[in-house]
Amino acid sequence: MRTPVGIVLVLGLAALLPQLAACGGAARSAPADERCLDCHQGLETASPSHDGCVSCHGGNPAARDKESAHRGIFGLADPSYAGRWERGCGGCHPHQLERMRSSQMYTNAGMIAQIQATWEGRRDSVTYAARGAKLHDLDGEPLTHTSVVGLDNLSGDLYRKFCARCHVAKQNDATDGAGHAAGCAACHFPWAEDATYRGGDPTMHGRSPHSRTHAMEGLPTMEACTRCHHRSGRVALAYQGLNDGNNGLVPTKDGLPGPLPGSDGRNYSHIAPDVHFAAGMECIDCHTSREVMGEGYASAGLHGQLEIGCEDCHGSATQAPKFDAAWGEHELPARESRQYGQRLPAGARVALTGKGRPYANVFDDGGQVGVLLKRSGRVLRSPVITGTPAHTVAGHERIACHTCHSRTVVQCYGCHTTYDKREYGWDYLAGRATVGSFSETEDVRALYPFPLAVDTKGRIGTVTPGCQTFINVIEPDGTLSRDEDVATFRGRRQLRFAPFFGHNTGTRAVGCSECHGNPAFLGFGQHLVERGRLRGTLLCEKDPRKPLDGFLHEDQDGVKAHAAMSRDGARPLDAQEARRFFTVNLCLVCHDRANDPIYRKPLDTHALDDSLHRRLLAAGR
Amino acid sequence: MRWTTVCIAACWLLGAEPAPAAPPGALATPRTGAVAATPALPQDLSCLTCHPAQGDVLGGPMATRAAERDFACRAFGEREGRAFFTAACAGCHVTTCRDCHDGQPHAAAGSVAPRVAPLVADDACLRCHQGYFTGWEYHGRAPREDHERYQRGPVADGLNYLKMLPDVHQERGLGCADCHRVHADGGRGAVLACRDCHPSPSRDVPEHAIAGHLEKMECWACHSAWAAQEYGTFLVRTRTAAQDTAFFGLPLQGGWRRSAALRRQDAPPLGLNGRGLVSPIRPQFVLLATDPARGWENRLLAAEWKAFFPHTVRRGTVTCDGCHSNPRRFLLEPPADRIYDLRRDGLPLDSWWDQAGQRVVDGAFFTRERHDLMNRRTPEYVREHLRQWQDLLRPDAGSSRP
Repeated sequence: MRTPVGIVLVLGLAALLPQLAACGGAARSAPADERCLDCHQGLETASPSHDGCVSCHGGNPAARDKESAHRGIFGLADPSYAGRWERGCGGCHPHQLERMRSSQMYTNAGMIAQIQATWEGRRDSVTYAARGAKLHDLDGEPLTHTSVVGLDNLSGDLYRKFCARCHVAKQNDATDGAGHAAGCAACHFPWAEDATYRGGDPTMHGRSPHSRTHAMEGLPTMEACTRCHHRSGRVALAYQGLNDGNNGLVPTKDGLPGPLPGSDGRNYSHIAPDVHFAAGMECIDCHTSREVMGEGYASAGLHGQLEIGCEDCHGSATQAPKFDAAWGEHELPARESRQYGQRLPAGARVALTGKGRPYANVFDDGGQVGVLLKRSGRVLRSPVITGTPAHTVAGHERIACHTCHSRTVVQCYGCHTTYDKREYGWDYLAGRATVGSFSETEDVRALYPFPLAVDTKGRIGTVTPGCQTFINVIEPDGTLSRDEDVATFRGRRQLRFAPFFGHNTGTRAVGCSECHGNPAFLGFGQHLVERGRLRGTLLCEKDPRKPLDGFLHEDQDGVKAHAAMSRDGARPLDAQEARRFFTVNLCLVCHDRANDPIYRKPLDTHALDDSLHRRLLAAGR
Repeated sequence: MRWTTVCIAACWLLGAEPAPAAPPGALATPRTGAVAATPALPQDLSCLTCHPAQGDVLGGPMATRAAERDFACRAFGEREGRAFFTAACAGCHVTTCRDCHDGQPHAAAGSVAPRVAPLVADDACLRCHQGYFTGWEYHGRAPREDHERYQRGPVADGLNYLKMLPDVHQERGLGCADCHRVHADGGRGAVLACRDCHPSPSRDVPEHAIAGHLEKMECWACHSAWAAQEYGTFLVRTRTAAQDTAFFGLPLQGGWRRSAALRRQDAPPLGLNGRGLVSPIRPQFVLLATDPARGWENRLLAAEWKAFFPHTVRRGTVTCDGCHSNPRRFLLEPPADRIYDLRRDGLPLDSWWDQAGQRVVDGAFFTRERHDLMNRRTPEYVREHLRQWQDLLRPDAGSSRP
């Protein structure tokens, strides 16, 4: 059985008390016997409560020469040494350490499971993770994670040589925007684009890879999030209005690739940013610390770790945002908001997440929804859409908010991956090159329109290729043992899409005809209507009857799905649903506004045969 | 044009070495079988001895590529434009008969039996009509992104392409030469019009039932399934080692690295062509250049669109809403709908799909007034819109069924 969160927190706090006392809690001076600052003059104090050196870094503070002073520093030889944060941070913050160990950013268990499912066509009974561990799942049941080091197949190697670069427990030395520290420092000591220290310590100035300065960010910056979340779904980019497009490297900036250079020779151009970014909100203003750092219980994948939703601040069609009763100064929101630019007034009613847990920055502000920006303390008002005509269209009950309010959804079509056993590739977990290197080519990228499908919760939401992997394997003798191979998924060879929120929303919604009149939104890809059937125009090389940029096609037997949704419970819309979707066009040509009374109840297309419609349609003949 | 041919032939004649009286393998005239007494043309142009009228094509657009040369001059200025044209474009111009007509022109000395087919195979056309230039798409090929990351997949003429839906005529076995007569009209060429073969579009097709469609639109405005579109063609002159390294993955063209900000291969925007009819249009080219030596950073050299005929004809079309209710296709994208923020990228345009600062060189953009007029929900429009969707929703019929 699951232990109530409140009990865990109380127990956790009780356990923390001795450590808090040892750490001193409030601001303090560096111990007199620490001589580190003799050399590191000008080094920023991490924070008022983190002003010593040895309690975080270890080492030999009384020594007078560099070599002996640095002896014993946690992880000096290996920045990804787990003891670095287990001893340096975990000594005072054991609860946060346990939470982090349960988070997807640390376990990567969901990522590995998806790779297994989509590359090997099966899931093993063993749960692989970045590190082996004994944890508890979301139901409080014991959970064993087996190290992915032991996953001796293509999936395991792909993770170790591609995905593990972003594992939060692995330092990435990249100096092109992808670099980050390992452990707690990955988020709390953000690295600059070039991973170079620019602070006040002359002995460190200009050295790389290091954090921008030695000032700790109690509230992770967007820069820190972007170090990892600029790849795959690229949500940190889309949120800020950046597009990792076609590797065109243009428009140039100072004669070099631009307009903004990205990691690994990519370039970002500008698109309309997410409306929340434009309003000044950072990643952490929506995402709770439980989502970001983990909550102590390990989820099977990303979605299990998430708890927030648009409805929490904006309400759903039928339900206004929910608030908890007044909270006191020792409760979770108070503790979480300790570092905010402004703390919520004691007694404020706070909004609840989808898991029924309190936000620390969303509150009942005199009958309106107030959103406190954690860093600045500025308060925004969140509009509530409950009961408005545009959000109460009959038949739209299943539609997720981002279905209509996404401006773009990044889509990468055709991921052609080659595994060459004649070459060596860097294993980011082992820290050495091993046999087998991966390389990728692709077909096209797109932002708009974007396909929709049923997600894991049964809602209709946006999806993106996830993944359209075509596998090539070159054996040591140069022969091609797998040639543009599509893995078996749920019993048949098929490509996959995944439910995905692109993090590029706007107040502007996709229009009614814009969506219903364009079958690309249903997953037919770019298309035309030919002989009464929809036909894709951008084709799969392996089967020209099927669009590459979609997952539905039509043949003599009707609408068929030729790709799967890669999350449990998710699926493409079926033929009947597609038909209902298109039937709306019979009304939309005249009734083109969502507040039209006909959309308050299920559509009656027989109305076209009534005398009024017949008379109207006969006009002008 | 005829004079051009004569001049080309005369130049070769004047510059030629004296020919032996009866050279082995000399051509016989078809009519008499007598050995030609005139000095021999170079092998590649010797066909003109017997087929002088066919030489007109050597003064036509495929040989001069005047349109491309003129574009280069407009973009770069006369002098540099000609130099750029020579370095970057002239490789594809027709110089000899055998550029198109493969094989030995005649079986052997003394024989008049030609081995070349009078109609050129598509492969010969596609050696030049590839990539962004009309031709490839007829066979279902679209250009890929320039960066090496996208250079994969099937290959034609040494270039990777995206697999697209081919033209229905190609599927039915028609080649380029079945519609195009390159040698006609003094080398300017002639082509069969759609209505030459399809004189009576069926009024049973909802789209055809709207009179304005048949009167004011080219057939291919609706029936082109897709077209390659290149938004922002960039040329980068690399002057430093850092630039050489950074742009190494991009192709070279005339000493410049070439790239594009955005490529698409869906239904193209619509405008008016030189005949005043609604036609697909596309950037050709919105050209920007970076050359540090001249202080050029994304300098806009041209913002030209062209009315064109994508050779991707299908029986079907997009839905009504694919054009109506879609102002982006007429370069009338509302500012609130913009996705790409070109100004923040440092470009002197608001949007690829905004007419401001751009022009159609052989036609015009839709005016807003005409667009608004087109989007009125007239009874005629409503009826045919309904019919299109009712047809699509009925399993046994189709809006574009012949």
